[in-house]
Amino acid sequence: MSEYGIEYAGIVACFIIAGAIAGGMVFFSSILGKKTPSAVKSAPFECGETPFSLPGGKMAIKFYLTAILFILFDVEVIFLYPWAVIYRSLGMVGLVEMGIFLGILLVGYVYAWSNKALDWQ
Amino acid sequence: MTPSLTDLALLIPELILVSMALALLLGASRIRNASMVTTATVIAAVVAAVVAALIAGRLSPDSPSLVGFSGMIIVDGYSQFFKVLIAAALTLATLLSVQRVNTDHVRPAEYHALLLLAATGMMLAASSTDLLTLYLGLELTTLSSYVLVGITVDKPESNEAAIKYFLLGSFASALFLYGIALAYGATGSTDLDKIASAFAASGVTTDPLLLVASVLIAAGLAFKIAAVPFHAWAPDAYEGAHTPVAAFLATASKVAGLAALGRVSLVIFASDNQVFSAILTLLAALSILVGSIIAISQTNMKRLLAYSSIAHAGYALLGFISGTSAGAEATMTYAYLYVFMTLGAFGVVIALEESGETLDGYQGLATKRPKTAALMLLFLLSLTGIPPTAGFVAKFVVILDVVREGQYVLAILAVACSVITAFVYLRVVVLMYMKEPLEAVDDDSHSSTQIPLAICLALAVAALITVVGGILPGILTSWAVAP
Repeated sequence: MSEYGIEYAGIVACFIIAGAIAGGMVFFSSILGKKTPSAVKSAPFECGETPFSLPGGKMAIKFYLTAILFILFDVEVIFLYPWAVIYRSLGMVGLVEMGIFLGILLVGYVYAWSNKALDWQ
Repeated sequence: MTPSLTDLALLIPELILVSMALALLLGASRIRNASMVTTATVIAAVVAAVVAALIAGRLSPDSPSLVGFSGMIIVDGYSQFFKVLIAAALTLATLLSVQRVNTDHVRPAEYHALLLLAATGMMLAASSTDLLTLYLGLELTTLSSYVLVGITVDKPESNEAAIKYFLLGSFASALFLYGIALAYGATGSTDLDKIASAFAASGVTTDPLLLVASVLIAAGLAFKIAAVPFHAWAPDAYEGAHTPVAAFLATASKVAGLAALGRVSLVIFASDNQVFSAILTLLAALSILVGSIIAISQTNMKRLLAYSSIAHAGYALLGFISGTSAGAEATMTYAYLYVFMTLGAFGVVIALEESGETLDGYQGLATKRPKTAALMLLFLLSLTGIPPTAGFVAKFVVILDVVREGQYVLAILAVACSVITAFVYLRVVVLMYMKEPLEAVDDDSHSSTQIPLAICLALAVAALITVVGGILPGILTSWAVAP
């Protein structure tokens, strides 16, 4: 292995840790958890949706709102990555500007919350 | 270049508007009092306009511009002129909204927050010296506008208008973005100055990639000002939208597009203006011709004003064709005066409520409501371009610039179409003054036709500038400085 390989050792470690956490969750819950199988639980599961339905079937509009909010805040996080990379060279300015950015984002979150977009009922 | 917090000082007008929008959103679920929100928005817009003007006042001839954010934002006389104009349009549009927000069950805080954010995007676009910031600003504007057009959710025509506007608008944004990508591919930069030097080095006509990029950028911006052949959305969007929103779109949004188009054409194509000026000539000629002719057959007042705004976009473009600073100043004058006369005309439509939407509603208006009819007469004369109103000065300066450039055919077309639009506007005047009202006038109805104070104020400002701009154009437009 050259030093080229060592450079990517961090990513390999990341893969292993991620795999261990995800695998551990499945493994331990399967041996430690109590099993009470039912017809509903055994059916294929797809994010709360009926997995097989004819086109034109109804879908709750609530999913749409939740999904939109999720995508919105999920995508915003992407902006934190390039910022984190050059955080040191940006210094105080970078911190303040990211603070403003997150502040604006927070207003959107409060807006969604106060308008009951996060309530399921 | 390292960023610094002092850069934020360049954007104080925008920051004021954004802060007010965020404050309104925070309180959105509790705010039910529309008049308080209107006051807050008007204050924010007026303060932003004053600050923008103060910043412009601090620019000296030695340092005519301030650049910040790694050369992405510029503050110069040109940007500040448009910022003040956009803030003024926002103020008047907010004042015109007072009645409709109540009758159409629009949630006041969200409505005004969207207006403020749209205006912020316009100001950013006027200040951009980079194609990406320009795109960002225009996108903030259009995204807010899509929602504003569809804000009366219980009206089917409003939903239809919003969807049409959204589909065509995203298509135009994609074209614009594609143009930016090609310009970047050809020159290696999205900065206007760097693209300009690359253009100067290679020449637009020799590089097909740059040619396609200029056409796509022009097309994307032409959509924002609703110039033919990118005008199809305007009549539908204006007709379906809440009337104050239509007024805002027809004025502020168009002005922002013009500001962007002006900066792109004057900075990027400073060395070789031939190709872009040919594109602009085509857009202007088609807009004037198509806008004026189709307006003849309209029976809905908002559609009529939409086609009139398309024709006016064509007239405004005339100044950019020459590529000179004198031409750009002519267009700025045009934009300035156009905003107030158009807001005035839409204001009368709003004041007349339901009956203002169709042409039949204007029948015999002079007998029923003489003052409102007189105001409408003033705005219509101005839109036609009859002296001594502002519209005459506006048309005069842009056509003069075309004549100076030696494009006599275009000048003749512009004047001839002015005559056609005279027929369009004066038809409304004939309906108001020479026809009997459809239903008999009863004296009891006078009390119910009170126009709210805010709308009166907006109409008064619009009328004042339409008159003063026509008699003493110099004092209002001496601010216009080309980039």
